[in-house]
Amino acid sequence: MAQAALTIDGLSVDFAGFKAVNGVTMTVDDGELRVLLGANGAGKTTLMDLISGKTKSTDGRVYLHDTDITNWEEHKIARAGIGRKFQIPSVFKELTVRRNLEVASCRKPGVFANLRFGFGAEAERNVDEVLELIGLTEEQDRIAAYLSHGQTQWLELGLLITQNPKIILLDEPTAGMTQAETHKTSEIVNNLKGRHTIIVVEHDMAFVREIAERITVLHLGQVLAEGNVEQIENNPKVREAYLGSKGIS
Amino acid sequence: MPMKRRIDWAIYAAFVVLVMFLPLVMDAFWLNRVAKYLVFGMLGTAVALSWGYAGILNLGQGLFFGAGAYMLAMSLKLASTTSLQQGSDKPVPDFMLWNAEPGAPTELCCINKASFLWLPFQSQWFGVAMGLILPVVLATILGTIVFRKRISGVFVSIITLALVLLVRLVVIDSQPVTNGFNGLTDLGWFNIAGLEFDPYIVPTYYLVAVSLSLVLVGARLLIDTRAGLILQAVRDDQNRARYLGFDVPAYQTFFFAVSAAIAGFAGMLYVIVSEFASPTFMDLTFSITMVVWAAVGGRSSILGACIGAILINTISATVSETEGFAEAWKAIIGLIFVLVVLYLPRGLAGLAHDFIDRLLARKPAASPQPLRVSDASSQLAE
Ligand SMILES: Nc1ncnc2c1ncn2[C@@H]1O[C@H](COP(=O)(O)OP(=O)(O)O)[C@@H](O)[C@H]1O
Ligand SMILES: [Mg+2]
Repeated sequence: MAQAALTIDGLSVDFAGFKAVNGVTMTVDDGELRVLLGANGAGKTTLMDLISGKTKSTDGRVYLHDTDITNWEEHKIARAGIGRKFQIPSVFKELTVRRNLEVASCRKPGVFANLRFGFGAEAERNVDEVLELIGLTEEQDRIAAYLSHGQTQWLELGLLITQNPKIILLDEPTAGMTQAETHKTSEIVNNLKGRHTIIVVEHDMAFVREIAERITVLHLGQVLAEGNVEQIENNPKVREAYLGSKGIS
Repeated sequence: MPMKRRIDWAIYAAFVVLVMFLPLVMDAFWLNRVAKYLVFGMLGTAVALSWGYAGILNLGQGLFFGAGAYMLAMSLKLASTTSLQQGSDKPVPDFMLWNAEPGAPTELCCINKASFLWLPFQSQWFGVAMGLILPVVLATILGTIVFRKRISGVFVSIITLALVLLVRLVVIDSQPVTNGFNGLTDLGWFNIAGLEFDPYIVPTYYLVAVSLSLVLVGARLLIDTRAGLILQAVRDDQNRARYLGFDVPAYQTFFFAVSAAIAGFAGMLYVIVSEFASPTFMDLTFSITMVVWAAVGGRSSILGACIGAILINTISATVSETEGFAEAWKAIIGLIFVLVVLYLPRGLAGLAHDFIDRLLARKPAASPQPLRVSDASSQLAE
């Protein structure tokens, strides 16, 4: 059996009486790509917030391999090996594309360790590779603020790839993308498969079919079902839960 | 080095050379004035570092300037023979004697309850050290609290603004040790190995000019480091930086403290060239004026903000000598600020950068090739 990369055990958060995530338990294996499905408000983003330290849980635990990282500070969780892409793309807007990636390539977290010039030939080569992978080589000297929406999303993916964490959390990486852009994104994500453990929140079923192995369905803050694409699409509980909203399309 | 960087450094070099040559063409009176403007230029740089690069709009930079100024002024006060010979044979500042309780011993240790604080300042270098240490310690404490609590944007500005006003009140209120709103006047001269820095001699000008040059180059190198780049990343998106694993408050606090150190250094130099320290250094208007200098010069440019400060002060001095224009000038400064914020958000430095970009873009395609070769060879040489 593969080793568990991320173990979530009875994780909950209570927002003044409202449990946005309520006793979620799941295990994601090393190198696995897991898709989180669920209607709007199901608690997908909140679950990622809990894993990455943005929101502090009120109950339950999160383990990265064997390390209990529950409620650590964000940058410590990041250093431990969890990278995250936000639902609203966020990059360093006033820096060039290349500079963005150089920042992400920096392996040392502290100020004093970084009082030196340059990132080293190896880091620069790595940045070149990532630029190639996300298709922004031509744009590397542009200020990030002038990128298109799709390019910005890819740059943020590039930041994660450069950061090279064990686990990558992607919150709706194709939101607002055209079909062509969505396809390219799925190529990038597929390329990461195997090298990283990936958890993706996604609505777009075409995209999900392109990338998914296992799917976990969240509903009202709880795990409703887990299985491969086929099992989930034919699961009566999932169909029922989705009928109330927009349904799996 | 890319062309743009080379041009940048060439402009720095040109500025330094210009500043170094001024004594050849100026009389002592103007030289002293320009020395003050260079000090203000240093303040512009301090503001640019925290506002432009760290995204922290400090509306209380005068606190650090004042702290530096008072620390050195205390030492220089104790070096002033005139002020010490007011009826005491021991070195006690004149204002302490004038306000001493009847029967109090005329000694620095105990003429009043807090006068012992002055004892170590009998050493000039203690004053100099404190002029840097105090701003850095204040900034580190303030930064640690504020940035760990993730206070940002306008709230940081309000806190710094409140703080400078608070400290100003405390200084005015602590008459026995600070001489209250009169400040510290009638100071002695700064002294390095027997050379006395009379504010109206050329060496004093060079003390300021060389200090400013070092600060400019140092600050510029600092933002060219990895830490400087990460700081700009933090400015653009704190959260993104945090989730890449950076300890965001550490970066903000470090650069906030560096900016404070520069302001403190400027405060000390100002005391040397102007021979006084006063609570007006901590007036709100002064701190806001610094922000205007940086905005006009270009808050994202270490040198631009410095030049902005020097330009505005030079123009002010020239204009306010014209009778009846002094008051109008204040309004004009306000107007310039509004116009710059609206139409030139990157200030004069932004204009200069656009101009250079256009020049570089207009160059025929022939030149890039040999440039790249020289780039490669210079990289090999490194
Ligand atoms: N900080 C918060 N305080 C209160 N309620 C919240 C907070 N964050 C999220 N919620 C609520 O939790 C629920 C789940 O939200 P979210 O995780 O964003 O859903 P999803 O990403 O699945 O669409 C929503 O009803 C949302 O309003
Ligand atoms: Mg969401």
